[in-house]
Amino acid sequence: MNSLHKMKEMGSRQVSLYIIIALFFITSIIFVNNNYSFYERPIAKVIKTTLEKTTESNEINQIKDQLYTQNIIAQIKNGEERGENIQLTNEYSSSGAYDQEYQVGNELFVSIDREKKSTLTGTIKDVKRDKYVLIVAWVFILTLVFVGKKQGLLSVISLAVNAILLSYALDIYLKTSNISLVLVCSISIILFTVLSLLLVNGFNEKTYAAIIATLLGTFVSLLITYLVMWLTSENGLRYEEMQFISRPYKMVFIAGLLIGSLGAVMDVAITMSSSIFWLYEKNNEISIKALKTSGLEIGKDIMGTMTNILFFAYISGTIPMIILYLMNSSALGFTLSMNLSLELARALAGGIGIVLTIPIGLYISIFFVNRKRTKS
Amino acid sequence: MNILFVLAAILLLLMCMIGGKKGARSFFALFLNFGVFLITILFMTNTRIDPYIITLSACAVISYINLFFINEVNSTTKAAFLSSIITIVLLLLFIVLVTENTMIQGFGKEEIEELSVFSLYIGVDFVKIGASVIILSTIGAIIDTAMAISSPMREMFLHHPTINKKELFTFGINIGKDILGTSTNTLFFAFFGGYLALLIWFKDLSYSFGEILNSKIFSAEMITILCAGTGVALIIPITSVITAYFLVNTREKEKIN
Repeated sequence: MNSLHKMKEMGSRQVSLYIIIALFFITSIIFVNNNYSFYERPIAKVIKTTLEKTTESNEINQIKDQLYTQNIIAQIKNGEERGENIQLTNEYSSSGAYDQEYQVGNELFVSIDREKKSTLTGTIKDVKRDKYVLIVAWVFILTLVFVGKKQGLLSVISLAVNAILLSYALDIYLKTSNISLVLVCSISIILFTVLSLLLVNGFNEKTYAAIIATLLGTFVSLLITYLVMWLTSENGLRYEEMQFISRPYKMVFIAGLLIGSLGAVMDVAITMSSSIFWLYEKNNEISIKALKTSGLEIGKDIMGTMTNILFFAYISGTIPMIILYLMNSSALGFTLSMNLSLELARALAGGIGIVLTIPIGLYISIFFVNRKRTKS
Repeated sequence: MNILFVLAAILLLLMCMIGGKKGARSFFALFLNFGVFLITILFMTNTRIDPYIITLSACAVISYINLFFINEVNSTTKAAFLSSIITIVLLLLFIVLVTENTMIQGFGKEEIEELSVFSLYIGVDFVKIGASVIILSTIGAIIDTAMAISSPMREMFLHHPTINKKELFTFGINIGKDILGTSTNTLFFAFFGGYLALLIWFKDLSYSFGEILNSKIFSAEMITILCAGTGVALIIPITSVITAYFLVNTREKEKIN
């Protein structure tokens, strides 16, 4: 009877959680489709397009690309001119590296020419992408909650908390003069690690062991990378290809490296400590030697795939740029060293962090197991 | 000395010390992956071949290397391979839908100045390349999750040979739930580490929230993270179903024989 009641209670709690998620979903979708007045920049919705002319581009020998000019009539959605139609022209190519064809229904940020004419004219500034980002975000959240239930929801929350924390840490860095980015990131990393691991795994020795292992692994690998950078005087790193630099580039690179490998190192640390504690709980009499052997076996299994995750996550983003270089007949070696040196350094440093965390995690977990054993 | 060479040597040394033979093989697999990556790009510069076909073939080769070369060919890795391919195809369908609507392909206006020496009209379909980039950045995580689920499922099956499909499936899902948080975390930090410069840059130039969210570069990065996370979650039920079928069906076949 009691358990039946409990199940009912849990069921209704789950149902109300789903209702709350559904409500959030619907309100946010309605909001993002009608948020024009929140933007200061004029937004126009395309209502008619006509193709004006087509020409062939042959800027580079033997490569053909089509160039198009399209006339667009769009309706302004916000500001003083709301409801009026505006004439726009758009030039685009069939490859679309920096341009695209617009279709009826697309929403664009425009600037309006302030000359009084019978019809408004203007230029296209950007595309309104917020609703698509929101939809993809919802697909992500719903998939995680659907597959992982409570753990899925916790993962989403932990990601959101980390994102807010990172943004807040960067604000502090930018507002405080004379503070090192690497220092700010180091402090953030401690917070990220403690928060993420506690949130997903709860308060227990397993989590504590993983936290210590993560921090040690991350900082030892940072130390090694620093040392190598100093020894080789950074020979082979092409900082000039780093994009979006408004601060000392070397600091930005190292801080990015530190944060980038953190997730993977955390993953390895929690895998090691969970397995060691699981083995111990299954058999309290298990010898340290057996724990070491099993732990190393698990470590061997994960090190390859974990380094792979970082490797592909880092280098795939360079593909469009490499293609652009190669199609503009840059030499292969030059192209690769320009575009891949930083990403490869990041991936290799991350890999070092992952591999180092295996023995670190193993010995710290064994230390905690020993302490538990002497206590009981 | 070149820093990449030194870092690679340290990584190789550590992998061999801690992982022995398997560690050496993992390092070699990284090399092979890099080779596949380069060949993929070279194929993409050929405008006659569809980038989606190149990407799917590259994913199959990469999965093959990381599942069958590092480990061995057995029911676990076969199930993981099949699940990875199915997930990648499903994810690609979703990503194609997204990239064709969001217009996040190619380069943003913040990057375009430094590219002025290049011709941008190079006859390559950047929308398709954009979808391929998202898939390839996730492939490592997808393979890892597939393996992390199917491997303990096999252990469970060996210890409880009479277990039925449904119980085995539930076991797989439960493992998946446990690793979901750390897997999405891994990807999340990997991407944010890479975007750190961009985030600082946006803040330094005091972009408003609306400007950041709608800019091509930021929304492209967000969509990559979110699609990658979706892929990692999606592969959990897929691997659980396929591994359960593989294991139980082989048992029943053996019974008949």
